[in-house]
Amino acid sequence: MTVKPKVAFYWCASCGGCEETVVDLGARVLDVVAAVDIVFWPCALDFKTADLAALADGAISVAFVNGAVRTSEQAHMAELLRRKAACVIAFGACACHGGIPALANLTSRERILQRSYHASPTVDNPAGTEPRESTTIDGHRLNLPAFADTVHKLSDVIAVDYSMPGCPPTPDNLWQAVNLILTGKLPPRGAVLGSVKSLCSSCPRNDSRPDDPTIPKIRRLIDVVVDPATCLLAQGLVCMGPATRDGCGARCIEGNMPCTGCYGPAADVQDQGARMVSALGTILQNDAGDQGTAALDDPAGTFYRYTMAASLLGAERKDV
Amino acid sequence: MAEFEPKIVAFVCNWCSYAGADKAGGQKLAYAAQVKLVRVMCSGRVDPLFVMDAFRQGADGVMVLGCHPGDCHYRAGNKKAQQRFRILSRMLPQFGIESDRFRLDWVAAGEAERFQTIANEMTDRVRALGPLRIRGYVAKEVA
Amino acid sequence: MGRPRTAVFLCNCGPNIAGAIDLDIIAGQLASRQDVAVVERHALLCSPDGQQFFRDTLQNRQVDNVVVVACSPKMHEKTFQDLAGEAGINIGHVQMANVREHCAWVTPDKATATAKAQLLINAAIRRSLISENLEQRSMEVNTDVLVIGGGLAGIEAALTAAAAGRKVTIVDREISLGGAVIKTEEVAPSLECAPCLLAPRLAAVRDNSNITVLTRAEVTEVRGFYGNFTVRVRRQARAIEPSCIGCEACFEVCPVTVPSRFHLGLGTHKAVYTLFPGSVPAAAAIDKSACRHFTDGTCNACVEACPFGAVNFDQPDDESEFAVGAIVVATGFSSWDPRSISALGYGTVPDVYTLPEFERLASSNGPTHSEIRLRDGRAPRSVAVVHCAGSLRPDAIPYCSRVCCLGALKVGELVRKQIPGATVTNIHHDLVLTTPREQAFYRRQAHEGTRFLACTDLAAVQVRTGDHGIRVEGPGFEPVEVDMVVLATGLQPAAGTRELAGLLNVELDADGFLKPDHAVLHCTGASLDGIYVAGCAAGPCDLPTAVTQGQAAVGDAISKLMPGRRINLEMMTSVIDADLCAGCRLCKAACPYKAVSFDRERKVCVVNEAICRGCGTCSAACPTGASKARHFTDAQIHAEIGGLLHG
Repeated sequence: MTVKPKVAFYWCASCGGCEETVVDLGARVLDVVAAVDIVFWPCALDFKTADLAALADGAISVAFVNGAVRTSEQAHMAELLRRKAACVIAFGACACHGGIPALANLTSRERILQRSYHASPTVDNPAGTEPRESTTIDGHRLNLPAFADTVHKLSDVIAVDYSMPGCPPTPDNLWQAVNLILTGKLPPRGAVLGSVKSLCSSCPRNDSRPDDPTIPKIRRLIDVVVDPATCLLAQGLVCMGPATRDGCGARCIEGNMPCTGCYGPAADVQDQGARMVSALGTILQNDAGDQGTAALDDPAGTFYRYTMAASLLGAERKDV
Repeated sequence: MAEFEPKIVAFVCNWCSYAGADKAGGQKLAYAAQVKLVRVMCSGRVDPLFVMDAFRQGADGVMVLGCHPGDCHYRAGNKKAQQRFRILSRMLPQFGIESDRFRLDWVAAGEAERFQTIANEMTDRVRALGPLRIRGYVAKEVA
Repeated sequence: MGRPRTAVFLCNCGPNIAGAIDLDIIAGQLASRQDVAVVERHALLCSPDGQQFFRDTLQNRQVDNVVVVACSPKMHEKTFQDLAGEAGINIGHVQMANVREHCAWVTPDKATATAKAQLLINAAIRRSLISENLEQRSMEVNTDVLVIGGGLAGIEAALTAAAAGRKVTIVDREISLGGAVIKTEEVAPSLECAPCLLAPRLAAVRDNSNITVLTRAEVTEVRGFYGNFTVRVRRQARAIEPSCIGCEACFEVCPVTVPSRFHLGLGTHKAVYTLFPGSVPAAAAIDKSACRHFTDGTCNACVEACPFGAVNFDQPDDESEFAVGAIVVATGFSSWDPRSISALGYGTVPDVYTLPEFERLASSNGPTHSEIRLRDGRAPRSVAVVHCAGSLRPDAIPYCSRVCCLGALKVGELVRKQIPGATVTNIHHDLVLTTPREQAFYRRQAHEGTRFLACTDLAAVQVRTGDHGIRVEGPGFEPVEVDMVVLATGLQPAAGTRELAGLLNVELDADGFLKPDHAVLHCTGASLDGIYVAGCAAGPCDLPTAVTQGQAAVGDAISKLMPGRRINLEMMTSVIDADLCAGCRLCKAACPYKAVSFDRERKVCVVNEAICRGCGTCSAACPTGASKARHFTDAQIHAEIGGLLHG
């Protein structure tokens, strides 16, 4: 009997959606389990860190790591997995580009603590307690992971072999990746497992984009009745599709919702948000003046919803 | 300690603003040496990416200068630039970059004095703001 | 392949650079750089000696890239690119660091200037390390010319091109050529007879085998680009075959009379008509909306009357497509309609006319056969001319048309010639007379009896029915009462100018005339290569200017479109990587020249590099990085930014 490849799944700063993708493989998950040996998956199975540490270095064939990295524990686990795995795949938007957690790079550690433990209207904390990395109670020392200033993408912390963007990646994406692994057909290291083009290339509404897609102003989703057949960008909505890597199957578009950009930038693009700003500026009529952009309440959060940790300006926290 | 001297990058279109800077040179109109120009054919070529890149690579202030509206050598590239930077200007403060660190303006080929004024004004404003610190990137140069 | 070898040339520019920047320090630093293979210095690199030195050095030293540390690229980039080309280095690998205009001349402190120069040079070197070849591509061209509009400017353009052996097609909306000039009797200030002036030119057009005249015709579509336009022209049937010589036999039998547009509504013609005897083409045309054969099928009189069997009711409308290399727009102007300002009395007071209407009354091919008459048939004993009617006011024509003053002065000349003893009063503010001859004409009119009343505010002039005729009053002059009032109306863009500009993809100015490519240096070029503009299509102008522009436009066009010679295309174009392009078409939206098209089969955008002017706006618009602006790539600009910020 051949030795089955050992596979690990781990989550750092994430919501658990990427784990859902594994479950959403449905019946195919049985094929996966039959083909690989899952040696570490804390979200679903009862493994301890010690189990992982006990493995020989490089013993794991592939580690799928999702989530961004902000705490010392997440960094430690990422480093440990890197040591134990021959191949690390940054799985999902947070691991690839920071994802939603990295939006926290727009504010500071101090402000987050202030808000979470003092200012939020639902907080009742008369003693003003804040979490501390180390506390001694009754002679026992309790430790919490350190909370860093900046949210990082996985590749800022460890070397990453492959990336699979998406919030979360689709089960089909995962299935294809598993097959590439099992058949030994993975592309050269460093590659993104996905399309090189942007979402417009597969968008079912591509043909509906008018010849002149100029828009008088940017509109919010709540302010319009969305035409289910026409290009969303041409309707004045911020559809991130032009600046977003293809691969999701245009599920949001099929649901009559604009793309929010979770697959990150297309190949060869350094900064998804900058590209989208430029693209949007190109079709926004000039004569509307500032009115044209008035509906854009949170540009950074709109254009970098999933890629703050991979952006030119938001990858490192600037103290303010 | 020596006074802080800001680094300012200005993207200038070939036909109007670069020529305006040339004319400032021809007339020997001294302006802040901190301002250094990147020539592009049209302000419409200036991707917001370039502005962000300049900030990330250590610029304390960035300008985009093009032909006056209606005078674009390529018809309307400056209008495209204006729209792009309208959006970018709304976003930069979210990254902790003060509005005064970025300026989009128009300088015609003949407006040597205007170029000089804009360059000096920008330098003064950014000097007053102090160094831009995007931590982790100022020291680190990106390849 | 090893690292690219870069040569840096430092030019002293006499004392200009060397006096302000410490080039010794710079040269020392460059010598220690790993990425610089050759450092050379010269007293004046653009001098013959310097150029020789530059070329020889490049030939002998085996370099890949060149950085010239000298003056503005606008001054000498081409000089050094050409020299590098002679030395076998592609011009894409030549960079200039502008340390003269942007550093030496504007930075008084030498240490500061030296530090700044180091960064400028560093940026140029870094950029040069990733420079790419620029290919000079060229294209075969069609050398034929299309002239839109058969007035004076168009006729002269056509004759000029035909004289150079080019095939020319003139397209005009009217049924015959002549434009606005043919409707006037005399041209000022020479007082030459306008029809006589034009007649030999029209005959020359008619007899020139290189010229095709398409009348009652409009351009409906223009595709392609400079040197390779395809135009589509729709022609309305005139229902008369070219065998018609304009003998007018049919006019007498035609039972239908219609108001004449040619006579500006002051006269009539039959449903079968020519504009005037001796028109080019000579053939008559039938107004199908009036002719009884077409309206109720009851009349065939002209068929029977025609000695040449030229009437052909079944003649179909015609649409044709042909190729040209250049297009001259000479569509003229339309005269401002004073109805919108009721104080001027036009349309309500019977004998108030516009200047073009007066010209028709005075014209030998006009409705009264050159007899200046009031509507009741009397000759006017007194005439007032109101200058600047509707001009220089925001609610009508905001500008001065600069030719109406001269036309207004001509009224006195024509009236006195015909009606001895008649008085003519010109009510004016400024008098725009721009040549000595025009000024002499004014003095003569004043001397011969035209009375000039200076009005302080022409916008406040009132024209209404008075006790003894038409009363004209306004600030600054005593009211006058006259038999006839002539309003000197200004010139507006011809009807359909905006639509035509849309077809041609050229820009209009704020007043709706065709915008020149450059107001001084290329005033007969429209804002798209290969499209030219002449005469009043570009804004109000006098006749000599219209003629000159018609000739100049064609001269410019044909000097570049030579048979057998290819034209060079812009080198710094944008190009789209089909592997990355997702077909979002935002580049297409960005392109001001319609150079980008969408290939529906491959679902990618494609740049037509014959049209692309290289602004790079599409590259900034491209959200996937598929569109690359040659010589200004993202990577090159990125390298330059880094070079300026890190010494």
